[in-house]
Amino acid sequence: MLTDHNWILTVGVFLPLAGVLIMLFIPKEEESLNKAIAIITAAVTLAVGIATMAWFKYGSDSSKLQFHVDVAWIPAIKSRYIIGLDGVSMPLYILSMVITLLVMIYSWDHIPEPGNAKAFMILMLILQTGMAGTFVAQDLILFFVFFEVVLLPMYFMIGVWGGEQRQYASLKFFLYTMFGSALMLVAFLALFFQTGAQSFSLEYLYAHSSMISTNVAVWIFAGMFVGFAVKVPMFPFHTWLPDAHTQAPTQGSVILAAILLKLGTYGFIRIAIPTLPQAAVKWAPVIGVLAVIGIIYGALGCLAQTDMKRLIAFSSVAHMGFVMLGISTLTQFGINAAVYGMVAHGLITGMLFFLAGSIKNRYHTLEIAKMGGILKRIPRLGWILGMCAMASLGLPGLAGFWGEFPAILSAYSPFHNDYVHLSQPLFRTLMVIAAIGTVLAAGYLLWMFQRVAFGEASPLIAGDVDADGNDLHAGAHAGDHAGDHLVGERGHGAVPFSVGAAGNADPHAEVHDVGIFEWIAWTPLLIGIVVLGAYPDLMFKVLNGSVTKLLAPVQALTGK
Amino acid sequence: MNAVMIAIIEPQPIWYLMLSALLFSIGAFGVLVRRNPLIMFMCIELMLNAVNLSFVAFSRIWGDIGGQSTVFFVLVVAAAEVVVGLGIIVSILRRKPGATADDISLMKG
Amino acid sequence: MLSTLLASDVVAPFSSPKIDYHALAPELVLAGVIVAVLLADLFLEESKKWVLSTIAGFGLLAAFIPIVTLAVSGHRARSMFGGAYVVDTYSLLVKGIFLLAGYVVVLLSQNYLEEGDYYQGEYYFLLLSSILGMVMMGSSRDLVTIFVSLEFLSIPAYMLAAWRKRDLKSNEAGTKYYLLGVFASAVMLYGMSLLYGDTGTTILKGIGAKLQNGSMSPVAVLGIVFVIIGFAFKVSAVPFHNWAPDTYQGAPTPITAFLSVASKAAGFVALINLIYVAFPHGGDVFQPMIGVMAASTMTLGNVMALRQTNIVRMLAYSSISQGGFILMPLAVAGGKSSGNALTAIVTYLAVYAATNLGLFAVIIAVSRKTRSGEVSSWGGLFSYAPLLGVLATAFLASLAGIPPLGGWVAKFGAFRAVITSGTNWGYALAIVGAVNSVIAFGYYGSLMREIWMKPVPDGDTAPIRTPSSLNAALMICGGATLALGVVPGIILRFSDIIKL
Repeated sequence: MLTDHNWILTVGVFLPLAGVLIMLFIPKEEESLNKAIAIITAAVTLAVGIATMAWFKYGSDSSKLQFHVDVAWIPAIKSRYIIGLDGVSMPLYILSMVITLLVMIYSWDHIPEPGNAKAFMILMLILQTGMAGTFVAQDLILFFVFFEVVLLPMYFMIGVWGGEQRQYASLKFFLYTMFGSALMLVAFLALFFQTGAQSFSLEYLYAHSSMISTNVAVWIFAGMFVGFAVKVPMFPFHTWLPDAHTQAPTQGSVILAAILLKLGTYGFIRIAIPTLPQAAVKWAPVIGVLAVIGIIYGALGCLAQTDMKRLIAFSSVAHMGFVMLGISTLTQFGINAAVYGMVAHGLITGMLFFLAGSIKNRYHTLEIAKMGGILKRIPRLGWILGMCAMASLGLPGLAGFWGEFPAILSAYSPFHNDYVHLSQPLFRTLMVIAAIGTVLAAGYLLWMFQRVAFGEASPLIAGDVDADGNDLHAGAHAGDHAGDHLVGERGHGAVPFSVGAAGNADPHAEVHDVGIFEWIAWTPLLIGIVVLGAYPDLMFKVLNGSVTKLLAPVQALTGK
Repeated sequence: MNAVMIAIIEPQPIWYLMLSALLFSIGAFGVLVRRNPLIMFMCIELMLNAVNLSFVAFSRIWGDIGGQSTVFFVLVVAAAEVVVGLGIIVSILRRKPGATADDISLMKG
Repeated sequence: MLSTLLASDVVAPFSSPKIDYHALAPELVLAGVIVAVLLADLFLEESKKWVLSTIAGFGLLAAFIPIVTLAVSGHRARSMFGGAYVVDTYSLLVKGIFLLAGYVVVLLSQNYLEEGDYYQGEYYFLLLSSILGMVMMGSSRDLVTIFVSLEFLSIPAYMLAAWRKRDLKSNEAGTKYYLLGVFASAVMLYGMSLLYGDTGTTILKGIGAKLQNGSMSPVAVLGIVFVIIGFAFKVSAVPFHNWAPDTYQGAPTPITAFLSVASKAAGFVALINLIYVAFPHGGDVFQPMIGVMAASTMTLGNVMALRQTNIVRMLAYSSISQGGFILMPLAVAGGKSSGNALTAIVTYLAVYAATNLGLFAVIIAVSRKTRSGEVSSWGGLFSYAPLLGVLATAFLASLAGIPPLGGWVAKFGAFRAVITSGTNWGYALAIVGAVNSVIAFGYYGSLMREIWMKPVPDGDTAPIRTPSSLNAALMICGGATLALGVVPGIILRFSDIIKL
């Protein structure tokens, strides 16, 4: 019944490392060659991913683990190399490949300071292996290894290529995540021990979850909860996120928002809930409440921000709150919505960070107050920003809606069966508060868009003053200087493709609109946002079977 | 009555054990409070000899030769330690005459 | 008259012990090499002294051969001298680790000695003697053999620590190491005499048969406590760790690497021998003691390491804290996860040896250029020596326990052992360990930050020239660190079958 192409996942996961191996032998002075190899590797990886999609059996088979591989890895600790793909993993697995490729294309002319494209690209390829591996691993230890592999590359990406506060932000990111994963590992081991110390295979653990008494399970779940919640990030553990996002280079922000955060929510769906259903029921109200606090807190945080990137980061906290709310209902409807929300958030927020990075490249500032009239100066970029803001606030017809709306709706009737049920009044209250959150979301996003996009072009954008407000015309070479300054102070980071002649004294010709590599990198995301918004069933169909299967242990609870 | 007196006066193995414990404590105390490396070193020797005494006494109690043969190993090893230890201590005293353990603290933290 | 005396059976006839030369082959080869080094040193002229390091290196590899032949010749334990000296799978594994670690130390020492104008012959003689002591420790199953092995490995190490005899710091390192080492030996010996007094035998198996939980005499309890305290000094467990940072900082760097890896490992091997063979039923006594020691060792080591500015001193505290992680599984030995604990410790020792030696190799390589031991001297290492920078990052990540580098397997094993004990305080230890592995990243991360994110301190970006022996050491350690993390089976398949 299963296909014979089960080698394809292994290839898809480890192919980026082959690219790394090649790049190790190329001197770092060969920047273009290094970038080209990295992009080709990512493209071939995506091709493998598309082949996976093509060979994937849809319909009723989508709930089964396909391309299943199960070979010995570390027999001494009963951990095996088990990988497989089902309906829940597939969209995220492919998303990771798409995002990596697009980010690399974007990097072609946007390598942040201090350069060294080779190291930058290698780190992204390693990240790709870690992310893809996490989504296909079906063994706890294998999952843990992949989950951790992404840590160091991201740490260096933020710490080396980030902004002013990069060292602080990177360390904060690392310590938070590591704290979570250390507790998570302890929880995994406890789970292993409590189920008879037989196997780390998820399939085995799903089947034997009832061996654990509820009291113990609640504690084990607590360990996993911290591990995954830090990554999501949920409300009390979220403080690393705004710093990491603000300081990370554009590429880092995009990968972080689009994929890394999903590792946490994915962990809840794939591991925490099905292996410990009895504890999940106890924890669900806590998760739900924290999720809603996250929604409101994130929204209020957004309203207080003056920095565009920080605003998007806080909006991530809010959006992941919706995802977690969907998960906390433990219903098929809610978790479907959550996975949909994960993918939609990946596309939309990834796109928003791209835009923020490009705006920063042009104006050297992300202070919302200092911008204005983007639509007049760079209309295409401005309209894309508008569309993404709409998508992000959950406008029906765009992808964001199908993540948010069903998640809120699912809280209307949270999980219940003949023996166990979640508190309906609580979740309905949460539903109402979350709905208020969407209004706030509309508020801050429209407010941000209005201040950035509409109005007269600010003096800054007109090219008369630089980011610090100095009048550029004051200097003797003001005209020459202004052009250089606006398009690329950060050296090779911003080679203009559609820019007018640099040094032109006419301020209105300085700021270029969307460049060619930006178009290539963004178009697929924009198409994704529209297509997923217009035809949500495309993904719900793939998800539903697997979600049902993952929830089976919860359904089977007898309340003993 | 008489027999009890004799039993008390005649040295019992336990006496040696007590003496050994006493010597060991004196030695350990000396290492901890004295600051002259040579004296500390002598105190350690005292501890080692307390150990020897203890081994011999136990050996006697058990009527087993093992404990006594252990003493020879300890003696030989202690001799080797003396050679090395004096070498090290002399080398430091030569560079810093009259150094105490408190003086030997270039590194801290 | 002599003949009549001999013929009389007043004295029991002396039966010479049966010696299994195959089982003793590693020790014999090593002893031969030691003599060869000493003789060669006598006859070689100064300019050719480099031959000595070659002899020492190949000698260590030669001693490895009988270990392989013994390993393939079956899993039967070969017991000699009435059970005082046993060659089994466990001892073969730890001997192998000691020999390979010793080989890497020889590689590290080569240029350091040649360029530093030190006495080479004596150095390798002492180094090999110390390694011989460790190899013997792997097989020691008797209080006396343990004591002799311990001194055999310690006495040369005292001298090696004080090797730079014109440097006061090195003198200080040697003196502290010596005084506290001998003090610890005395304490341990006193404990041994008490154990002997309680059980009437020095053979560990015999002691194990007599000591039973619940019915233990105060003498035996005191004996166990003293013996463990004695070894706690050797493995620099808190609160007996004070000597370690000073000794590590003052000793020549290759010797610091040696002490922090091999010598410490030998202490753990002795502890394993004692706990698994002599006190398997003494859990009530040693478990709480070692548990508290493990928790405080890893915590204090980490906290102290956070405030260091000297790399070697930071690594000294890091090695103390890693020692706490190695102690962690010992705290549940004797219970139902005994087997897991043994696997965990031996795996940890192997991984830790590869990683820490590699890191010291990087330190030696970098200090050839910077001539400084300060953390800040590593600034911007990645920009002018990318290979060294990446290797250092890998070793640091491994020490921090980040997959896919070896360290995670080690930490994982330790966690697994304490959790499968199923006791509440096993879980408590695991949580303490988990929190500590995060704190540890504070200083491992600060080194990484220097390497990747800080500017080069003096602007001197000339590449670092590393001699071939150092390169070999870096490659061996780097390869081992990565391989142990990706396919942990290469060590686990051995460490999982060992028994005591």
